Amino acid sequence: MDWKREAALVLVAFAVLAFLPFVVPDSYSRHVLIMAFIYAVVASNWDLSLGYGGVFNFGHLALFGIGVYAYGLITKFAGIDPWLALVLSGAASTFAAIVVTIPILRLKGIYIILVTFGFAQLVMQIILSQSDYTGGTQGMVRIQTLYIPGVNLIRDGKFGYFYVALAILLTSTIFLRVLVRSKTGASIVALRDNEEYAISRGISLVRQRVITLAASAFFTGIAGAFYAAYQRNASVDVFGMSLATIILSMVLLGGTSTIYGAIAASFVLTIFAEFMADFGAWRPIITALLIIAVMLVYPAGLAGVWTHISNLVRAKSKKP
Amino acid sequence: MMDAASQILFGGLFQGSLYAMMAVGLALIWTTIGVFNFSHGVMMMLGAYIAWQLNAWSIPYFIVLPLAMIIMAGAGWLLQASVVRPMIGRPNIVLVVVITTLAAASLIENGALEIWGPRSKQLPTLIAGNTEIFGIGVSLHQIAIIVITPIILLALWLFLNRTRLGLALRAVAQNEDASLLVGLNVTALYGLAFAIAAALAALAGIFMGGYRFMSPVMGADPLLKALIVVVFGGLSNISGPIFAAYLIGFFEAICSYYFGLYWTPALLFAVLILMLMVRPEGLFGSRARGLA
Repeated sequence: MDWKREAALVLVAFAVLAFLPFVVPDSYSRHVLIMAFIYAVVASNWDLSLGYGGVFNFGHLALFGIGVYAYGLITKFAGIDPWLALVLSGAASTFAAIVVTIPILRLKGIYIILVTFGFAQLVMQIILSQSDYTGGTQGMVRIQTLYIPGVNLIRDGKFGYFYVALAILLTSTIFLRVLVRSKTGASIVALRDNEEYAISRGISLVRQRVITLAASAFFTGIAGAFYAAYQRNASVDVFGMSLATIILSMVLLGGTSTIYGAIAASFVLTIFAEFMADFGAWRPIITALLIIAVMLVYPAGLAGVWTHISNLVRAKSKKP
Repeated sequence: MMDAASQILFGGLFQGSLYAMMAVGLALIWTTIGVFNFSHGVMMMLGAYIAWQLNAWSIPYFIVLPLAMIIMAGAGWLLQASVVRPMIGRPNIVLVVVITTLAAASLIENGALEIWGPRSKQLPTLIAGNTEIFGIGVSLHQIAIIVITPIILLALWLFLNRTRLGLALRAVAQNEDASLLVGLNVTALYGLAFAIAAALAALAGIFMGGYRFMSPVMGADPLLKALIVVVFGGLSNISGPIFAAYLIGFFEAICSYYFGLYWTPALLFAVLILMLMVRPEGLFGSRARGLA
C-alpha cells in the first residue's frame, strides 16, 4: 500500500477511536478501551521483534514490567515529574533490551526463547528480592498519577486517561510503521528471511538486532509506565505466564509482520474477555481453548478467519 | 569443614536429581520432535495432583506411583495429539507450538484450580522418616529421590540406546524423512515421546509434592529450572541435560552455602549467559543439530 493511503486510513481509524468516549460514556467501558490500547501497544511492539525481526523475545513482557516498576520507582524515590518519568521508563526498558540482546546475538530460534525467558524471570526475582524499594510480593501501591494542571485525568469517566492512552498508541503505531517501511525495517526483514545473504550484502546482524529489540522496547516501556500511573499500583503479576500468553496470542492471532493485526487482535481479545467476565474462573480456560482452536484451524490467525468469512459471504451473495 | 562438604554433597545430589527429573522429559521431546513443550511444568503439577487424588481414594502408595505415571503418559499422548501433531509441517512450527503449549498450560493450570481448589496440598513422602548422614539431618524422602532418579535415568538411557523402539525414537530425532522411508510410524513415535516425557514429569511432580506444598501454579518454577538445565546441557542428546542438571545442582549447593540463597539465581544466570556467549550450543552439545 502506498504510504499516503496508509497514513490516511490510520488517521481515519484513530479519529473513529477518538470519537468513542462520546459514544461510551460509562467509566468501565472506557477502562476496557484504555486497557485494550495498552495491550495493543505492547502487542504491536512485540510484533516488531517477533514478526519482522524473527527474534523470539520472550522477555518482552519483562520490558513492559520494567516500564511499570521504573515509573513507580522514579516517581517515588527521585520525585521526578511524572511525564518525564514516563519517557525515562521507556528509556529504561530500551536499555534493558540492549542488555538482553548481548547474550542472544549468536543464538537462534529456541535458544533465544530460553535466554529471554530466563531474563524475564531474573528481572522478576530481582524485583521480588528488593522488597525495600519495590514492595516485593506485595507490590507497589499509591504510585504517582499523571497530571495536567487544571485537568483531572480520572474525572468525567476517565476522559483524560483515554486520550493519553490513545495518544501513546497513535505515536507508537506511527513509529512502528515508519520504522518497518524504512530501509532499516527492510534490512531487519532481510536478516530474518535470509541471514547469510543479508550479511553478505553488508547488513550488520549485531547492529540491526540491537536496533530491533531496542526499538520494540521503548514504547513497551512507556506503556508499562502509563499502566503504572493509571492503575496506581504495580505487582510482579506483569511477569507472569498468563499475561505473556494473552499478549503473545494477540500477536499471533492478529497475524505477524503487520503491526495492525496485533492491534486489532488486542481490541478483539480484550473486549471479548470483558464479555466473558461472567464466566469467572472459566474465562482463562475458554480463552486458552479459543487460542488453540484458532491456531489449529487458521494458521494465519484472525486475518484468516476474516478472509474465510468474507469468502463465505461472497459465495453466498453470488448464489441467486 | 566435614559439615560443609556433606551439606554441599547432599544438597547438590538432591537438587541435581530433581533438576534431572524435571529436564529430561523436556529434552526428550525437543530431541525427537524439535519443539519445546511449555506445558512441561504443568504436567508435573498435574502428575502430583493425580497422585494426590489417587492417594485420597486410599489406594496404596506403591500402586499410586506407577498408576499416576501411566495416567500421565496418556495425558501426554493426548496433549501431543491435540496441540502438537496438527502443527507439524507448518513453517513456523516452533513458535506455534510455543503458543499452543502455553495455552494448554493455562488450560490445565486453571482446570486443576477448578477441580482441586487453590488450597495447598501435600503428598505423602516416598519413605517416611529422617536420618543422619555425615552429621547432617536429612529426610528419607530426599534419599529416595537421590537413589531413584539415577535408576530411572539409566533405564531411559538403556531404552533409548539398547531397544529397537528407543533406537526408532532416536532415528526420528535425527532424520524424520529417512525414518518415514524405512517404515517407522513417525506419528506414533511422536506420541510415545510425549507419553514418556509426561510420565517422567509426573514423577518429578510426585517428588516435589512429597517435600513441599503443592498448588496449581507449582509448575512454573520447575519449568524455568528445566529450561535452564537444557540450555546449559545443550539439546543435541539426552545425556547432556542430565549431566548439566547435576552440575547446576552442585553449583547451587556451593553458591547457597557460601553466598546465600539470595544470590544463587543471579549467579546461576550470570554463568548461563557467559556460557552461552562462549558455547551457544550448550556445555555438552555438539554443533550437529545447529542452533535453530
